[in-house]
Amino acid sequence: MSLNILQYSKMLQKNNIEVIYSGPILASSIDSMAEMLLKRLEKEDIPLNASQSVFSVFVEQMNNMFMYSAEKIYQANSDGVLEKASRGIYILGVQDGEYFIQTGNAVTANSAAILKTRIDHLNTLDKKELRKYYKQRMMADNDNPESRGAGIGLIEIARRASSPIEYDFEPLENDLQYFTMHVTIKQRGKE
Amino acid sequence: MAFRMEKAKTTSTPYVLIDEERNYMKLEGRCFHENVAEFFRDVNDWLDTYLASNFSLFTLDCAISYFNSSTTKLLMNMLIKLNKYASEEKKVVVNWITAEDNEIMIECGEDFSEDMNNLQFNMVIV
Repeated sequence: MSLNILQYSKMLQKNNIEVIYSGPILASSIDSMAEMLLKRLEKEDIPLNASQSVFSVFVEQMNNMFMYSAEKIYQANSDGVLEKASRGIYILGVQDGEYFIQTGNAVTANSAAILKTRIDHLNTLDKKELRKYYKQRMMADNDNPESRGAGIGLIEIARRASSPIEYDFEPLENDLQYFTMHVTIKQRGKE
Repeated sequence: MAFRMEKAKTTSTPYVLIDEERNYMKLEGRCFHENVAEFFRDVNDWLDTYLASNFSLFTLDCAISYFNSSTTKLLMNMLIKLNKYASEEKKVVVNWITAEDNEIMIECGEDFSEDMNNLQFNMVIV
């Protein structure tokens, strides 16, 4: 066997990783993971705003990966029909009183440049400014009814995060970049 | 015959009730479906026809406990539309129903209601 599962499991524990998902991201996989995550969060003794923040960041990151991952695979849905899905990875862990959420997916060089500019900008804003900016972008985006609000999901993530969004890009083949994002949320909620 | 529609709640879509006879609509649950526009298409189609018709009081109870950013945009557009049609003759009441500790929904309700001058927006804390 090429992969030692015990070693792998120990590695996850050592890194305080509680949930890990790697594979196709499509509507049905988001729903089933969401149910699992909601049940898990309900059991934890944390304020509602902390659990909602964790959930919200999960949903926005999944939606973003679903729409913008440059790596597409085909996956049969519950009716057996092949659907285009994105490939991505989602990790949830707890360390020092904080949840950490990490995601990874391939993006085009063009998306990478846009993501970098957007996140860098969001990281300069405080919570009050983010709230205002969210509404402003929402209204500005309004003229295009078919727009799915690209970029607004990132503002929502920044609003829920306890510290600036950390990210990294690593070059892949075919001019793609592997995008990783790291978001933390305090378990005791907002101060 | 007055239009009536009911959609059952799923993990990522809310319970929807449209009861035209009672001039009433209700949304309840969570909403974060990846294609929320498609889910609300028939609701919005009905709303367009209904709002153009003659009614004296329309009530929307919105008791969604969580929605994602694409739903936020859709709901905001729905409220903008309601506000556009609301007048002295055609009263529109929106009850924003949320739990006391649901800060995210309370903030969102505050932001939504800011520019809605024609309709009556009630924050209902339960």
